[in-house]
Amino acid sequence: MSVPLIYTAAGIFLFLLGTYGLVAYAHLLRKILAANIMGSGVFMAFIAVAGRTPGAPDPVPHAMVLTGIVVTVAFTSVALALAVRIARTSSRVHLSGRDEEQ
Amino acid sequence: MTPGPLLLFDLLLPAVLLWLAWRSLTSSDLFRAVILFIAFNLLLALAWVRLEAPDVALAEAAIGAGVTGTLLLAALTRIESAAGRRLSRPARWRPAALVLTGTALLAAAAGLLWSLRLLPTMPGGLGPLVDRHLAESGVDHPVTAVLLNFRGYDTLLEVAVLLLAVIAIWCLDEAVPFLQQPLESPLLTGFNRMMLPILLLSAGYLLWLGSHAPGGAFQAASLLAAGLLLALFSGASLPAQWSGLPLRLLLVLGFLAFLAAAIIGPLTGRALLHYPPAWVKPLILLVEWLLTLSIALILTATVIGGRPTGSRPYPPPASPAAEGRQR
Amino acid sequence: MDAVLLTHPWSVWTIIVPLAAAVLAFLVPRRAPLAGIITALSVALFVAATAYRIFLAGPHTQMLGGWQAPLGITLRADGPALIMLLTSGLVGLTVSLYATGYFTAADRQQRYFWPLWLLLWAACNALFLSGDLFNLYVTLELVTLSSIALAALNGSPAALDGAMRYLLAGLLGSLSYLLGVALIYGAYGTVDLTLLGQTVRADGLSRAALALMTAGLLLKTALFPLHFWLPPAHASAPPPVSALLSGLVVKAPLLILFRLWFEVFPDTATAGMAHLLGILGCGAIIWGSLMALRQQRLKLLVAYSTVAQIGYFFLLFPLARGEAAATAWVGVFLLVLAHGCSKASMFLVCGTITRLAGHDRLAGLAGAGGTLGARLLVFALAAVTLVGMPPSSGFIAKWLLINAAIVAGQWWYLATIALGTLLASGYVLRVLSLAFTESQSPPLPVAPRILRWPPLALSVVAVLLGLAAFHPAVLTLAGAPVSGIILLEMVP
Repeated sequence: MSVPLIYTAAGIFLFLLGTYGLVAYAHLLRKILAANIMGSGVFMAFIAVAGRTPGAPDPVPHAMVLTGIVVTVAFTSVALALAVRIARTSSRVHLSGRDEEQ
Repeated sequence: MTPGPLLLFDLLLPAVLLWLAWRSLTSSDLFRAVILFIAFNLLLALAWVRLEAPDVALAEAAIGAGVTGTLLLAALTRIESAAGRRLSRPARWRPAALVLTGTALLAAAAGLLWSLRLLPTMPGGLGPLVDRHLAESGVDHPVTAVLLNFRGYDTLLEVAVLLLAVIAIWCLDEAVPFLQQPLESPLLTGFNRMMLPILLLSAGYLLWLGSHAPGGAFQAASLLAAGLLLALFSGASLPAQWSGLPLRLLLVLGFLAFLAAAIIGPLTGRALLHYPPAWVKPLILLVEWLLTLSIALILTATVIGGRPTGSRPYPPPASPAAEGRQR
Repeated sequence: MDAVLLTHPWSVWTIIVPLAAAVLAFLVPRRAPLAGIITALSVALFVAATAYRIFLAGPHTQMLGGWQAPLGITLRADGPALIMLLTSGLVGLTVSLYATGYFTAADRQQRYFWPLWLLLWAACNALFLSGDLFNLYVTLELVTLSSIALAALNGSPAALDGAMRYLLAGLLGSLSYLLGVALIYGAYGTVDLTLLGQTVRADGLSRAALALMTAGLLLKTALFPLHFWLPPAHASAPPPVSALLSGLVVKAPLLILFRLWFEVFPDTATAGMAHLLGILGCGAIIWGSLMALRQQRLKLLVAYSTVAQIGYFFLLFPLARGEAAATAWVGVFLLVLAHGCSKASMFLVCGTITRLAGHDRLAGLAGAGGTLGARLLVFALAAVTLVGMPPSSGFIAKWLLINAAIVAGQWWYLATIALGTLLASGYVLRVLSLAFTESQSPPLPVAPRILRWPPLALSVVAVLLGLAAFHPAVLTLAGAPVSGIILLEMVP
């Protein structure tokens, strides 16, 4: 098993771990954190799977992942602003229709 | 890359990353979870270095750990001051749902890992193609060439996403001050006096570096944003007369410059973003500098987390045609 | 004159103009409605010019930055993209006009509606034209983020909740899609749709990538049973926003799905996978319609009707295999156009009714004569297309779909289409019957003109499109991945 494949596999596991966190936790901040971990997993798989070319590393996936990181930070900032707004208007830290304290 | 003396490192690093991610997801104290998440991102930067992606490593450390970490901490403070401090535990699931979800995730993992064996042994990336056209791109660093020239359209839309984030956040809420009063600690003031010039210098250096080595607009912008945030923490603020149109102009400046450079093409019978050969270098340089300034302000604005309150909030009613006014 | 008309890349301006206008609207909020109207008119013109060029000179591409794929990104103006642009132009123009009358209070909502909507418009048009898997990811994110901000526009707890659900579902969907793109890049070293279409092998890796991307996009399209986020987000947003979300935004991930399944992975996708999507589509039609029948609020009823209508689009996957391919293809794209116009019109009428009556509870609208009754008639006119009664465009579209089902010998899809139509008539009649119930209600003021005419005009266009369906039908097949004759007669 080559080195990039180890990281690709780790990326896939991070993605699934994040998916679990996003589904299993009710606290909005935790959901956002989980989505970020999912994103990191995708980026890691992307760089690693494209890093198997012989010779100098391929710059195109690097540029794409940079774009992905920036897009994710934009999403995260809006998600957090929404979560803060929800906490301030209705004193909730989770979506409606779920039990408190979960 | 084949397994060599670094094999132990290559097995250990992903394992530690997975462990940190797991701890960050399951720790019931959210503050702890965020700190673990920042540590996760810093180690991730190490993984990018190992995967020979220094540009991504810089961006991960600056944006992934720095900006995202600050965003999470700021949001956590605000959420807890609004809704009280809560412990966060996983929802109590019915066993059937747990088994079903677990099976689905494990099956997905198995399927994906199994499909990886079908990856071609000698993949053909776009690296050679980028190298062949690098001389025409106006920059000497391949990643910057892809970002600002070959796939510049992606970057243009990406800056639009950033701008959109600010508009969305401003639409949601007014800015809440970070601190009830500025921290008056001689240590912080001294630290800031030292750090601000260093951050400014390193931002400029990174931006200059980006034309021929790892670095560039986004990394430089996040350093600049760090400097701006430090200044904000120690009580600096934008004068009220600046927080209206002048601030908005600075926020959109980079995007507008990029857009203007992009439409030179269709206006002169070329494709979108096709720069006249003689202008490539100066155009890209100008766009990059203005982008750095705007992105730094955009990142700062996302951490502040609301529209400025100093300015006149709304324009006066536009027309007397208010017959259809709400109820 | 013709030389310019037939060579200039008109379609690019449908992206650039709204982008620039969005920045202007953000800078000078007072002039935002004016910028919006000018943009709406010019986008309509540019779409018309693109249609003219495609009609006379065929589909065309543009290599951005002058770089050929796989190094650069390609924009493609082909038939499917054009139908989407037409929908975007019609819905966008109408909603922009309506919004100048709806957001008049010079408040936070008006100030932020215009930059957000113009960015959304640019993003939708960019997505429709994109011919690059990774660029599709970026445009899709721009579409999703602006939709979320718009869904949260009125700041009510319900709207914030709906927007948050939308955001989390959107993130899950786009990251799943991106992981699929990563696998594809690792295997083939390119993300250009045309190049991939020529090189993709039908193996397990392609199937894994297709499954990841499809799952992500299904979540974003809100196909049953992944529709949980759609009704709260669409029903709690301001009406012009609901019209955009239902009429335009759900079609964006849908087009990516069509491009993936029919252009990039035509051989990878097995008949079983296609039927799975078809069955989920049937589930959406029945479940969405039943839920619409049960709703107590007008806007929720219309939102669940969107859940149902999305199901019809997914019948393309099983039906467009074999000799009925072209018929099903044209039918579904006509349905996209028809549904966009009729659904946008219905949400706008909802907005006018809510503004007049102060609420949208169905029970409270009983005996809605007079000015409300007139609004309900416009609702009925839009519903003619939605249900698929002749001579509307919805009728032609469903006729083609039914023909495709008969030719393909897939009777269960035929039965679902029939049942869906019956249920749709049911929930529409439930609304209409309100106008004929006896009840005492105080007289209401007449709504301003700008809240009355745009929805009426759009529903009339949707009906008339049925009489002039020939041109859109022919255009749909320009550069489409399927070809063949359009079967207009029932030949089992």
